[in-house]
Amino acid sequence: MLWIISTLVFILLRIAPGDPVDAILGTRANEFARESLRIKLGLNKPLINQYFDYLNQLMHGNLGFSLNTQEPVKIIISKALPASIELALFAILIASLVGYLIGFLGAIKPETRIDFLGRIFGIGTYALPPFWAAMLIQIIFAVLLGWLPIGGRLPPGVSGPPSITGFLILDSILDKNLGMIFNSFKHLILPSATLGILLSGIFSRSLRLNLEEIFKKDYIEAAKSRGINDSRILIKHALPNTILPILTITGLTVSSLIGGALLIEITFSWPGIALGLQEAINQRDYPVVQGIVVIISSIVVMISLFIDIAIAYIDPRVSY
Amino acid sequence: MLKIINVKIILKVSSIILIILQLSCVQSKKREHIIVASAGKIESLDPAQANTLRTLQILSALGDTLYKINKEGNLSPNLAKALPKVSQDGQLIDIPLKENISFHDGSIFNAKAMAFSLNRFMKIGTLNYLLNDKIEDIEVKEEFLLRIKLKKPSSSLKSLLTSVNLTPISPNSYSNYKDSFNNKNFIGTGPYFLESFSQNQQIIKPFINYWGKKPLNKGIDFINYSNSSSLFGAIKTKEVDVLISNSIDDMQRVALNNMVNKGKLNSGEGDPIEIGYITFKSNTLPLKNKAIREALSYTIDRELINKQVSLGTREPLRSIVPPQFHKKEFSPFSKYKPNIARTLLKKQGYCETDILTIPLTFRSNVPADKLLALTWKDQIKRDLSDCIEITLNGVESTTVYKQLSEGAFEAVILDWTGAYPDPEAYLTPLLSCTKIENNNCLKGEAVFSGSFWGDNKVQELLEKSEKSEEESRLNTLIKVEQLAAKGGSYLPVWLVKPKAWSLKGISQPEFSSNGLIILKNLKRD
Repeated sequence: MLWIISTLVFILLRIAPGDPVDAILGTRANEFARESLRIKLGLNKPLINQYFDYLNQLMHGNLGFSLNTQEPVKIIISKALPASIELALFAILIASLVGYLIGFLGAIKPETRIDFLGRIFGIGTYALPPFWAAMLIQIIFAVLLGWLPIGGRLPPGVSGPPSITGFLILDSILDKNLGMIFNSFKHLILPSATLGILLSGIFSRSLRLNLEEIFKKDYIEAAKSRGINDSRILIKHALPNTILPILTITGLTVSSLIGGALLIEITFSWPGIALGLQEAINQRDYPVVQGIVVIISSIVVMISLFIDIAIAYIDPRVSY
Repeated sequence: MLKIINVKIILKVSSIILIILQLSCVQSKKREHIIVASAGKIESLDPAQANTLRTLQILSALGDTLYKINKEGNLSPNLAKALPKVSQDGQLIDIPLKENISFHDGSIFNAKAMAFSLNRFMKIGTLNYLLNDKIEDIEVKEEFLLRIKLKKPSSSLKSLLTSVNLTPISPNSYSNYKDSFNNKNFIGTGPYFLESFSQNQQIIKPFINYWGKKPLNKGIDFINYSNSSSLFGAIKTKEVDVLISNSIDDMQRVALNNMVNKGKLNSGEGDPIEIGYITFKSNTLPLKNKAIREALSYTIDRELINKQVSLGTREPLRSIVPPQFHKKEFSPFSKYKPNIARTLLKKQGYCETDILTIPLTFRSNVPADKLLALTWKDQIKRDLSDCIEITLNGVESTTVYKQLSEGAFEAVILDWTGAYPDPEAYLTPLLSCTKIENNNCLKGEAVFSGSFWGDNKVQELLEKSEKSEEESRLNTLIKVEQLAAKGGSYLPVWLVKPKAWSLKGISQPEFSSNGLIILKNLKRD
């Protein structure tokens, strides 16, 4: 799978119009300057040679060097990835708390006002364009109310704690810097809440629908007829049976998070991997784009694998 | 009852969170540094690699140039002791250097260091073609005297020496970077030294041993936001002290200008260095026909575009070179006269039965280009719908740049900023051509600019201008522009002035001739 993705990215980048030499030199550089840079960057080699060089490097764990800065792609990714993971984790946390709570309330009180509002929330947040929602939230909470910072990971002029893990909150905790913990957390609220709320719609809808289905099952009827009270039925019989579909949906959502995170990272100037990817695409920085795509794909594959293993572990009917 | 208690608890918790958030917004101590915000990351601080306005902005504070252009538009010495002395044949330039200047690492600035910096730029600089086309050799004549040997006389070289890309760097600190970029550090002679560097934030502090006028502030923190809305919000919420205008959308420029008018912000602007224009591909029909290009030059209502598209923030332009470089009023390109356009088109057989269709390409990721394209299209529809029809085509900018020299676009909206403050930095990149056949440029800059228009007389005058000086040079370049206006391959539309906004309590931003803020002059009141 990773080989197919990396090959596709390699081919698509070369097919796409635009040239890293143009992005670096501008359009006015003379032919000699362009050719010199092309040789320096290895872009003069036949495409097939470039491809095998790339695959060879990839197999040795080397993602190459940025065409623009000559910095190793590994270093570029290692700086940006923790910011994205931090954002994604908090977003998933918020999405799960908000989404599952709303879905749960809707399911236990069907066709009530709570259920109706929950459904509107679910459909509404799913339908909202992420960039528009992000801008709106930014304008309301950062510009108009001034409660939270407009963007970035830290306030302007503040240097972060010594980088140990790359995760700002974790590094601040390890550095025992209370102010920094608070600052980094404050900067995380708007982007993660935006992303989390946008995702929570899917979570609430999926839990609501799954619970509704399960409530119609024979074993629930049987439990009711045995005189088991409603809350016990819900906790002991209904909820455990929603775990499998919910786990699958959560896994798929994490994968789709990458696309949503791009727009959120741009809006909130969040220095993550998605913002880096956008900048690298604009500059036609082939190794950086390839590296980021391979890493993102690997993460998605790993998450899918983890979900499959978890499902097999939870459900004895599933075996591989 | 239970519900009421729950609501009370929720309200209490919310209030505590809000109070904490509000308290956190209060700054524990007054900022000492000035925070300057702009769009886009800085990936390298190496002057040999720098090609964005934001990078050049920082480098202008960390380094010095040999010369600068003063307020009168004349060359004045900076690190150089006097104006360059040019030999009679125009091929040797002697530059005496100031003494007692040191780099941030304590080493001495001298001719050897300057030669090292120029040679390094010529070897690895991404824009090295600017020098390599002109310079034959660089020689250290004396400890503080540099000699540049040219391939042929070049009067524009002096202006080129004002370029921030050619700021000297310490040979001691760059000894391991002779052939490679030093992206995360910079050791120059400027009023500030680099305290820390990351792609998203750079901190600079005053250099105590600076030879010239000392900075009026205690340091500058540069930060970047990835979009215009965030930049706008950052100054509105006073998160930043100064905002640089590049990448600020026109609507937000207007809002910021309104805040200036209401006394909520200060603003400063420099001389315009960016031009917006339309290129017509002149080597294929119908735009190969000069009369049609001439007719099109009468069709654009720049005043309307200034009002509708940029809300008054981009001045109408009827020359390729920004006006301050001419040192006099000069606008050779035609004004908006739709009747003349109609007459010319009728002579070519259009307007009665045939309608001239022009596919206009704009860069889809540049909002102003799209608005310009839409406005011009509608304006033509209003005034000349019987003669011309504009069809629009949005293409991402990197693709446009790649395909420009391949002749992919009949008409395309572009912009250009000269690499140094000189008319030649605008005319040569658009008009120069080394191989011309029947006014078609086969090889040269005009191919890269997408016009494919060549004129032997233009080429001759451009070469002549390199051998002349001052008034005579300017007059020659004016003739070049007159010929370009007659050729009709370019349609200048607007001028963009560099602008910056600062909070009350911060001094008004001042600009240098190359469109960069003079950071050392920023101060807290």
